[in-house]
Amino acid sequence: MAHDGNLDVLVVCGSLRKRSYNAALARMLPKLAPPAMKLRTAPPFDQIPHYNHDIQDSTGFPPEVTTFAEAIRSADGVIIVSPEYNWSIPGALKNAIDWVSRMKDQPFKDKPVALQSCAGGVLGGARMQYHLRQSLISVDAILFGRPEILVTFSAKKFDEKTLELTDQPTIDIVTQQLAAFEKFMRRVNGQ
Amino acid sequence: MADKQLNVISFCGSLRKGSFNRMVMNALPGLAPAGMSIKEAPPFTELPLYNFDIQNSTGFPAPVNTLADAIRAADGVIFVTPEYNFSLPGGLKNAIDWVSRLPNQPFAGKPIALQSASPGPLGGGRVQYDLRRMMVFLDALTLNKPEIFIGNCASKLDDKTGELKDETTRNFIKQQLEAFARFIERHGGKG
Repeated sequence: MAHDGNLDVLVVCGSLRKRSYNAALARMLPKLAPPAMKLRTAPPFDQIPHYNHDIQDSTGFPPEVTTFAEAIRSADGVIIVSPEYNWSIPGALKNAIDWVSRMKDQPFKDKPVALQSCAGGVLGGARMQYHLRQSLISVDAILFGRPEILVTFSAKKFDEKTLELTDQPTIDIVTQQLAAFEKFMRRVNGQ
Repeated sequence: MADKQLNVISFCGSLRKGSFNRMVMNALPGLAPAGMSIKEAPPFTELPLYNFDIQNSTGFPAPVNTLADAIRAADGVIFVTPEYNFSLPGGLKNAIDWVSRLPNQPFAGKPIALQSASPGPLGGGRVQYDLRRMMVFLDALTLNKPEIFIGNCASKLDDKTGELKDETTRNFIKQQLEAFARFIERHGGKG
């Protein structure tokens, strides 16, 4: 938690591949964020075992889970940038959420969360976002509403080689969302 | 219609030994109509978390192909799943994510039936509608009715023997499996 008037925001990317558009968007965010919003990348969640209560009960929460949870807990807010797999949330990301949801002092509770998604087609990851909202309600997060960031036809909007976000309307709306998310966090965190 | 041999596979969405959903799944062969065999699908726990870079470099991991072949060979698939955070467990979703990427994706045209058990009252009321939507994307054929939502499941299962003892639930499941057999015979069919 930042004590200097700044807001500490954790960015979670739902795709694991190197040339991911969602990862590329996540990397852009510091350039587009308002000055008081400090962004940091979440610890990896790709080595977490599949959720199994027997593990939790025997050897306890895996270290990657507690690290991930602590990163969420200590943040003023979370931005999840994720692709849509099979009309829904990527299993790896969902698995990470499943694990941390089982902890005492569950990290998403009362946490402001904003969503973004990039996709190849016309809906821009919308189905995933509405499922993710559903799961985040289950963990009692405080969901930021609008503007929504649904990046459609991503191949046209990111530079083919560098993956830099080049589409100006997208840049503008993401900038708007981050500014609005800052205000939202201050309001709901009681500042 | 004459009973012909139907080979159905089942997936349990929970990994723990004492899983209620697993107990329900284990009860299915005994409740199936004549001619329908129900066997558990190969495991999905060995699958790494989906990452396109793996697919693109070393190819599909062997367990993905094993799982896909089992789905392809089956006349139908039954999902018996808990609800994690108002949706599908990440591990099971990850398995679906992997097989969905195969050329000749195994769920296309596949008859599907859904069941869920939960200690709470809704019996998995949210997860099944999410799973239905994923199955729409995968062009599967999901049986509409009867729906099987086993709420307050702890009282319906014997935790020592794992037996599904509630007669009403057993009858509903028998009805669903009978309907599933007719559904497969009418709408299923390899090709």
